[in-house]
Amino acid sequence: MSRSIAVRLLYITALFGLLVPGTVSAANVCFKCHQQRLFQGKVVHKPVAAGKCSACHNPHVARFKGLLRLTEGQLCYSCHPKQAASFKQGFIHEPVHRGNCTACHDPHASGVKGLVRKDLARDCLKCHKKLPRKFKYTHEPYAKGQCLACHSPHNAGNPLLLKAAADTLCGTCHKARDLRQGHRNYPAPLKDCLTCHNPHGSNRPALVRNVLHKPYAQGCSSCHKPDKAKVSMAVCLKCHPDVKGQMLATHSHLARHKGNSCLNCHSPHAGDEKSLLKGREAQVCTSCHQDTMKKFRDSPYKHNNINKCSDCHEPHGSKKLAMLKGNGTEVCVRCHKDQGRFTHPIGPKILDPRTGHPLSCVTCHNPMGTDYKYHLVANGKEKLCILCHRTYL
Amino acid sequence: MKKKWVSWSGKTVLALIFIVSCNIPSAWAAAPWHWAFAMKQDLLQDSMNMPTALFIDKGKEHYYVVDSGKNRLLSFNRQGELLNILNAGKSLDVPYDMVRTGDGMIWVVEKGRNSLTSIDLQSRKVTRATLHYDGRLIYPDRLEYVGGLFYVLDKVTGDIISYTKALKPRQRYSCDKCSRGFVDFRIYGQTLWALDRQQKTVYRFDLGGALDGTISLGNFVSFPVSLAVGPSGYLYILDRHKRDIAVYDKSGIFKYHFLRHGFSRGELDYPIEIRFDPWGGLCVVDEGNSRVEVFRR
Repeated sequence: MSRSIAVRLLYITALFGLLVPGTVSAANVCFKCHQQRLFQGKVVHKPVAAGKCSACHNPHVARFKGLLRLTEGQLCYSCHPKQAASFKQGFIHEPVHRGNCTACHDPHASGVKGLVRKDLARDCLKCHKKLPRKFKYTHEPYAKGQCLACHSPHNAGNPLLLKAAADTLCGTCHKARDLRQGHRNYPAPLKDCLTCHNPHGSNRPALVRNVLHKPYAQGCSSCHKPDKAKVSMAVCLKCHPDVKGQMLATHSHLARHKGNSCLNCHSPHAGDEKSLLKGREAQVCTSCHQDTMKKFRDSPYKHNNINKCSDCHEPHGSKKLAMLKGNGTEVCVRCHKDQGRFTHPIGPKILDPRTGHPLSCVTCHNPMGTDYKYHLVANGKEKLCILCHRTYL
Repeated sequence: MKKKWVSWSGKTVLALIFIVSCNIPSAWAAAPWHWAFAMKQDLLQDSMNMPTALFIDKGKEHYYVVDSGKNRLLSFNRQGELLNILNAGKSLDVPYDMVRTGDGMIWVVEKGRNSLTSIDLQSRKVTRATLHYDGRLIYPDRLEYVGGLFYVLDKVTGDIISYTKALKPRQRYSCDKCSRGFVDFRIYGQTLWALDRQQKTVYRFDLGGALDGTISLGNFVSFPVSLAVGPSGYLYILDRHKRDIAVYDKSGIFKYHFLRHGFSRGELDYPIEIRFDPWGGLCVVDEGNSRVEVFRR
């Protein structure tokens, strides 16, 4: 009888050990099937080293892929709370925002400090697909896959996630004397390196960006007066009168940049695209409209397949609300042609009883993101309709 | 049995009070403002379209609204009833802000022409002028008229420049630390208050141009576009993206915020300007909903 009790106790203890994390070295059991060598390296994650596979995985059943006990982010931050707090500041790298730590970190073991994956650059380029691995002329740190030489991988105070101001970063390798020699006729103190140079690579020597502004290609004097570095907005608008017209609108992007608003977004010398923007459009817009981008990113329902802000918004100026390219219907029906014909009555003759405004697509939808399906501005099952149709209550 | 019921009832009431008090954010509970009326031009026939500014004539007891989308100015009485529509012979091109001077003139910022336009109401003469400062063309945005001087916000530099009535520049109000300059300003007494949207900071200048102090708005605002100082010295900041108003005390401590996004009465969509009227009303120019709403305590 006493022997039978002892055996039962042994079974119960063993079962308890398997179910409760860390009570026995679960690894001994796990590694019977999972190859142990894959969990070894110069740097081993602490729970793995302690054989506590069940700290993160449920050996029997789980809601999350990989038999994880919680979502990836929740699991990681349960042991790394300091990081959870600090990674919420400033501009956040997309995988960090999604809690997808394993995009860059190996959760078990790695040859690199911080459990960073062995070929981090390869992982970076998995998401940053537009960046080629090699350029005709490639910046040395980029060629070596040293993305972290310049970028902060989690978050930073700028949309490019740079570790410091771009010029400061450049200056850590490129000595001031050498730079002055390379820019002998430059009429002003050397700064804003990225307005002309692509820090990853280019088809041009000295990493000068691929597309040159026509006047720049012709020579500095096309825009600069002798011994004067500053060029006024009026000089830009002489060649771009259409932009001047767009900016004389209710809302425009005329804004301070030492007297030349154009330079807030455009490089006057060279760029990666014809528009000579100072970066990818979303990055340029985010540098001022951080709150809008955050709302768009965090909203559960929003317009899909938005490539560029300028698909719907006029970047220079507009007489329409939110600097749209047309009214709240015109912008949408450029793509949604069918909905423009058979939707709830809209148009100049159908007025919103609350405001007297003509009904349009954006009366009910907010493409920048809402909490409701089809990015409706309220719950479409009832509340949205009775905002206007009050007698239906 | 009865005694027990009373006891449970008391506990329930206490619990309810506790739950309710816990669930009302203190910042909202403190908001004392309620909707009074809206200035709307013939709502279902000829509504405003994107109003951008409000001017209040204390002497005449009139409100003036700049109806930017329909290139006209509207005047209302103290009760919010429409008095007149002025379009200067249909010649206005994107009017954005306006003031009325004591000599029967209306001055309008016309963005479509980049001009400060004067309208002589008696002779019906419209005169346009471009402004310059230090040899540079000015792009007028916001406009105030105080003590015989025009104060103009230049959209390109974010600086505020005062001009005489002959449009000669007098004084510049600027901040070197602002990356984008100011987006709105108000003058109360001898103090000019200016709003820096990018840094979420309010700057106080004396009218001589010297910086008198700053107030950091912190993360209580997201996209501040307009400011007003209440009779008690509290600072009111209009947030275009959050569609609410954040209130700070005299020392710059956040007190509460009120109003919310929506299209119905008392709700905001892309609001653009706030002003106090001399009769205790807080007026909000709601560009998205095409109306001006007045709130009172």
